[in-house]
Amino acid sequence: MTGGDGAASGGVDPRVLARARVRVLGVPVIDASEPVPEGTAAAGDGERVWLLPSWPDGATPALLEEYETAPMPLDRSGQARRVLAAALRCCWTRPDDAPWPGAPAAVADVLEVYGGMSRGDADLARRWATGELRRLADTGWLLLDEESGTVRPGPRVALWAEPSLASLRDLLRRLPEPPQRAEGGDE
Amino acid sequence: MSELFEPLLRPYDERRRAELVAAYMAVEHAAEPVSEVRFAALREPALRRTVEGMLALTGRTLIRADQTRWISGFRDDVAAELARDPECVPPVRERAVLALVLIHSVAIPRAAGLLADDSWLSPYPTPVDELRRRTQLPVGELDAALRRLRTAGLVAQVKAGADDAGGFVPGPQFHRLTGAARRRLQEELILAAGPDSPLAAAIRARRRGRERDEGETA
Repeated sequence: MTGGDGAASGGVDPRVLARARVRVLGVPVIDASEPVPEGTAAAGDGERVWLLPSWPDGATPALLEEYETAPMPLDRSGQARRVLAAALRCCWTRPDDAPWPGAPAAVADVLEVYGGMSRGDADLARRWATGELRRLADTGWLLLDEESGTVRPGPRVALWAEPSLASLRDLLRRLPEPPQRAEGGDE
Repeated sequence: MSELFEPLLRPYDERRRAELVAAYMAVEHAAEPVSEVRFAALREPALRRTVEGMLALTGRTLIRADQTRWISGFRDDVAAELARDPECVPPVRERAVLALVLIHSVAIPRAAGLLADDSWLSPYPTPVDELRRRTQLPVGELDAALRRLRTAGLVAQVKAGADDAGGFVPGPQFHRLTGAARRRLQEELILAAGPDSPLAAAIRARRRGRERDEGETA
């Protein structure tokens, strides 16, 4: 109990505990002036910093596919991917840059793009997509501001490695274009 | 991107290193325990110790599911510290819903001899009606709690079949409990379901004894 090499009261190294906390909390956000725990990855937008897991040698969970190993299941994963794609179509306005931090887009535009990607009842599609936007925001793939009705790429997007982006850029180019807004480039 | 793992990985050649990284990512992100047949770094004890070391950097450890399958979970000492942090503990409504799922899907079938003693996974779904009745939560709040529990992998939905109405079972996270965590959960369920039973009294006595021992060694 009298200190030792940075040991916490329970004997757990505080650096280890800080990294464990990041996993439990998903993608926790801290003030840009706070220190990023050692051994954690981070994505910042100037004001805030989101803490992300740090993986060895640039690996991502996509590696599981090579080993034909099922990842943690995601409900309605196809729909979640399509809604994320529709959001990126609107928020990733300069495809030559990285998708993070991207730009805010109107939720209405994302729903419009999503509507153009799906067949069937348009109203129903919008309702599903609205729920999906919330779920993607809960898990750090998007940042959703329901008050202003805008959405931005989420900090997890910053974990995508540059070589993996080419196919995503191709895919997004094939999606319907977002509606043109009169007032361009508003933040 | 990170130097965190470098000291542990540096001694290995490229092939070994890739095997270690693959095993690490697999046990951390797979839905279920992975077979060591597929991952050399889980098969060979020396490499497995290094995987264990990589996991320990973030407070995690290897859990053996059966003779040849592995997954990761939080170390017991780290889990205890995290549980003391209010930010890391799910809200009371989610915990209540999860407890009901554990009682219906695991505790009751186990008491009836339908489930093995040491598993927290179950093929017996808890019907949504039962959750609605017992939690007395408004439908919107129950749905929100279930949505978050599903996203976290703590419950999984079972679609209605020919013979049953479907419902919820414990999710894939329950693969990730250490032996001690599984025991603790079992004890908590006994304390909750039968606080006046002799079994509950024995658990309380054992815990008092353990606290006394820890008090003396600290």
